Amino acid sequence: MLSLPQLIEEDVAVLDAALGDLITRSEATAALVIDKGGPLIIERGNCDDFDTTTMAALAAGSYCANQAIAGLVGESDFSSVYQQGVTHSLLVQNVDDQLLLVVIFRASLSVGAIKYFAAGTTQLIANQMVRARERAPDEGMDLVELNLADTSSLFQRREPAQQRAV
Amino acid sequence: MAIINQATRELQVKIVYYGPAKCGKTTNLEQVHANVQNVQEKGKLVSLATSSDRTLFFDFLPIEAMAIKGFKTKFQLYTVPGQVIYNTTRQLVLRGVDGIVFAADSQWDKMQENVESFQNLEENLKLNLADIPYVIQYNKRDLPGAAPVDYLEYLLNNRDVQVPSFEACASKCEGVFETLNMITRLLLHKFINESQRKAA
Ligand SMILES: Nc1nc2c(ncn2[C@@H]2O[C@H](COP(=O)(O)OP(=O)(O)OP(=O)(O)O)[C@@H](O)[C@H]2O)c(=O)[nH]1
Ligand SMILES: [Mg+2]
Repeated sequence: MLSLPQLIEEDVAVLDAALGDLITRSEATAALVIDKGGPLIIERGNCDDFDTTTMAALAAGSYCANQAIAGLVGESDFSSVYQQGVTHSLLVQNVDDQLLLVVIFRASLSVGAIKYFAAGTTQLIANQMVRARERAPDEGMDLVELNLADTSSLFQRREPAQQRAV
Repeated sequence: MAIINQATRELQVKIVYYGPAKCGKTTNLEQVHANVQNVQEKGKLVSLATSSDRTLFFDFLPIEAMAIKGFKTKFQLYTVPGQVIYNTTRQLVLRGVDGIVFAADSQWDKMQENVESFQNLEENLKLNLADIPYVIQYNKRDLPGAAPVDYLEYLLNNRDVQVPSFEACASKCEGVFETLNMITRLLLHKFINESQRKAA
């Protein structure tokens, strides 16, 4: 299975700058790079009003579901999902096999313009991912010196007595 | 694959609860959400379900814990819909999975569904089941019609290498945390071993 390459500071800086530039030029509210499996990789812009972790999981699910629907009707040229809202709209644009770009923008902005700017951004991100992959095709992170916390009880159940107290 | 972001010192792992319809996958997540304590951050439990509370697409619960010192570890818990017809959505939810909890329904009349769901998991995984950490949970132990654990083990946990299994009553939160902690532990150990091998 294709997996996300190891990201180092340089990659994150490039992605961050690409999203920042997109937001400046398109006047979008926020932009995220997410993995198609659901995780949020990086976010930029005015994200405080949105639960971006949940949004990433749902946007990835929605994109993949739409792609599967496109496949069912024999539509192979599928690369984005646009959701029109009253205050905010959403564009989910394919980056590469692994990643998606999510742009949140005021509904008054034109989706055509957003798509236009997003195309440049997805290209920048895709190129950087190619570089990251080439840099270290299968290099993991050096975790040797890291210590694992006691995982036998990482997640603890609240005592039933405490539960009553709440 | 676990997403490791060296720049932000962040690790994200995806755990999927798999199993036949109504075996209690969603209940597991609800109990974790309601009862977990001492975690850095707990997100909302999002359920994409039908009006009759059956999972349509997935349930999603993000929780953050300090699993490796100095690393932010984000656990993303998902459930699949158990109903046979939703196979495409199960495949979508499995994308990028790091670890699996296979939840079985202990009732005698669910044995065939358990076995079929397990086979379905193997078909849908793009990986060999031996290459991915998983644990098995025998749920609904409280019901009078529950089959003996030995029999469930014989049916579902019969490979060369047996995986950890747990008896549970998810609706009373029994066995829920034991299961989650074990899959977490398998995942983190696999992850650390791999990075040590690569570093060597
Ligand atoms: N008796 C008993 N009932 C349980 C237990 N765990 C879950 N249930 C009940 O079983 C029913 C189905 O549980 P869910 O958690 O929705 O099952 P699911 O596996 O998510 O089902 P799908 O979404 O259709 O795949 C609910 O009514 C639960 O309350 C248990 O340990 N014992
Ligand atoms: Mg469910």
